[in-house]
Amino acid sequence: MQPEAGASAAGRFAAMRETRLGTFLPVMLALAAIWTWFGLGLPLYEMATGRSDSFSAIFLSPRNIYNLFMQSAVIATLAVGITIVLLLGEIDLSAAATAGVCAALLGVLVLAGVPGWLACLIVMAVGIVMGSVQGMLVAYVGIPSFVVTLAGLLGYQGLMQKILPTGNLNVGDPFVRAVARVLVPDYWGLALAVACAALFGFASFRKQSRRRKLGLELESSSALWGQVLAFGAVVIAVVLTLNAYRSLPLLLVLLVGITALMGWISTSTPFGRSLMAVGGNAESARRMGFPVSRIRVAAFGIVGLMAAIGGIFGASRYGSVSYTAFAGGSLLLEAIGAAVIGGTSLFGGRGSVWNAILGALVIGSLGNGLDLTGASAADKLMVSGAILVLAVAIDAMSRADPGRER
Amino acid sequence: MNGHQESAGRQAAPPAHLRATGIHKRFGGVHALRGVDFEVARGEVMALVGDNGAGKSTLMKVIAGAHTADEGAFSIDGAPVAISSPNDASRLGIQVVYQDLALCENLDVAANLSLGSEVVRPGWEFLPRLLRPLDDLRMEAMAREAIDRLEVRTLQSVRAKTGGLSGGQRQAIAIARAVGAECSVVMLDEPTAALGVAQTEQVLDAVRKLRESNHAVVYISHNMRDIFEISDRICILRHGGNVATWRTEETTPDDVVVAMTRGLDAERDRAA
Repeated sequence: MQPEAGASAAGRFAAMRETRLGTFLPVMLALAAIWTWFGLGLPLYEMATGRSDSFSAIFLSPRNIYNLFMQSAVIATLAVGITIVLLLGEIDLSAAATAGVCAALLGVLVLAGVPGWLACLIVMAVGIVMGSVQGMLVAYVGIPSFVVTLAGLLGYQGLMQKILPTGNLNVGDPFVRAVARVLVPDYWGLALAVACAALFGFASFRKQSRRRKLGLELESSSALWGQVLAFGAVVIAVVLTLNAYRSLPLLLVLLVGITALMGWISTSTPFGRSLMAVGGNAESARRMGFPVSRIRVAAFGIVGLMAAIGGIFGASRYGSVSYTAFAGGSLLLEAIGAAVIGGTSLFGGRGSVWNAILGALVIGSLGNGLDLTGASAADKLMVSGAILVLAVAIDAMSRADPGRER
Repeated sequence: MNGHQESAGRQAAPPAHLRATGIHKRFGGVHALRGVDFEVARGEVMALVGDNGAGKSTLMKVIAGAHTADEGAFSIDGAPVAISSPNDASRLGIQVVYQDLALCENLDVAANLSLGSEVVRPGWEFLPRLLRPLDDLRMEAMAREAIDRLEVRTLQSVRAKTGGLSGGQRQAIAIARAVGAECSVVMLDEPTAALGVAQTEQVLDAVRKLRESNHAVVYISHNMRDIFEISDRICILRHGGNVATWRTEETTPDDVVVAMTRGLDAERDRAA
């Protein structure tokens, strides 16, 4: 038996989670906690204990926020893809290796004189094929995705080493480099942010008016205004912060654009509905006439595509392709961690690609903040593990259905 | 096969909507259905009873297209039809509510009701159908109508996740989903198993609504109380064959149980 007040607080929390922005709550809280600690708590503590003589707000400086976003971009790209297969109740352990193969291939192609845009399209197609092949093994041969993608992880790591015998290749192609280097001019960035906020508001209020017309239950108008204003405030604040250092990087615009597309596909189309249905109850989906096997293959194709895009982003940002930056490093676990910290269930049917972006920011902020404080790699690993468990625990507790615990 | 000739109210039976005749189904060496005849009329609840292994579920799956009959014929309103896949069956307006309901608990009621027949917004024909925007609100309104039609009063919102609902509510939603698709025949597999009294009543109410709306309802159950409360006729199977089809008001639970377990010969012996 739970105490009365605790149960009702948990119930309120669960009810809040059901709203559109409510699903972001745990990961937002985690992010806020990390930012408060590194941005405010730690500097104050150090000043109080006399370890530093002045308040240093390095973590929350525009420059560091800019770096933080750029560092998290590759993780976020992969996490968005992994979220799609997690929604199905599958997992992809090969995403980082796929990204590595694609990045290596990109480097080799541009070195051989293939134009940058064509090379990007080729590696995206290769990524889709690499993902789809694994999807077919899962869907038609019936091998669990864990095993298929574990084999993929090993195989693709080997493949990457074959493509890059030296383990390292510089990528100097101007088109590829431009992805991470081009900055959106300040005013355009701001205009884009205002346009996004306006579009979100317009869509929300139009939906509300359609609800009224169809006689459906309405969102409370305070919740509606709250969502619109909060969204607008966050978007504009992010752009202003980035403008304060350099400007809005094209890479982030691309990432948000792709995520918006994936978010729209996964929530607002029959395909997305079928992802959720298969993830929730595959047998039911089959009986209702969904082509379950083809949906699985398509989902793995999407991870392959996102991994390839992540590979392009990475190659562009680092200006080089190396084995350790992709297949051999911690990218895979960070990406899966980001998706899970974002609140996407490993059992399928619940989650959102936007949460994966926030999850990637949590992972990125941790790494960045610990780096700034001079923590060792060992500390970073241990703290990351603890945060992962904490995030999933918050998620599990807020999701516990009061009706079923009785 | 002389059982159904004896059935008392045969001449008074309404004209069949769906009729299956001489259905045979073998699984390897097991002869699960041995020439079963079955019919159901519109505006009628036909109970399908039989002991475990009598062939009720097999017959239901054959009619639903989940199994293909080895022999036999189907007709709807007298016109011969072929049923060899679930899609055939749903095209002919035959819907099944399986015992495990097969709802997606992570989706809300509206999404569950429109599963597999999602409504998309007009004006996006340049996209493949799978990628056109869903019309969530239209589906929500349709779900509201479907739920109101079955009078599931206890359901607060069609935006509630089905995972948090009671057994009776879920059963009602599974029924509403079957009815939501254009259908004339609804088959319910053990709809009240594992439900409490109040929830059972809720499901039986929903079944009555189906009958009033002129659906042909096939009600598979072990529960004699429910069967005698809800059904108009009872079709009894035993060892993969027909025993009898009786009008519910002209028989008693005891007779049905005897026919189910021992067949009519035993009963005749006893009467003699």
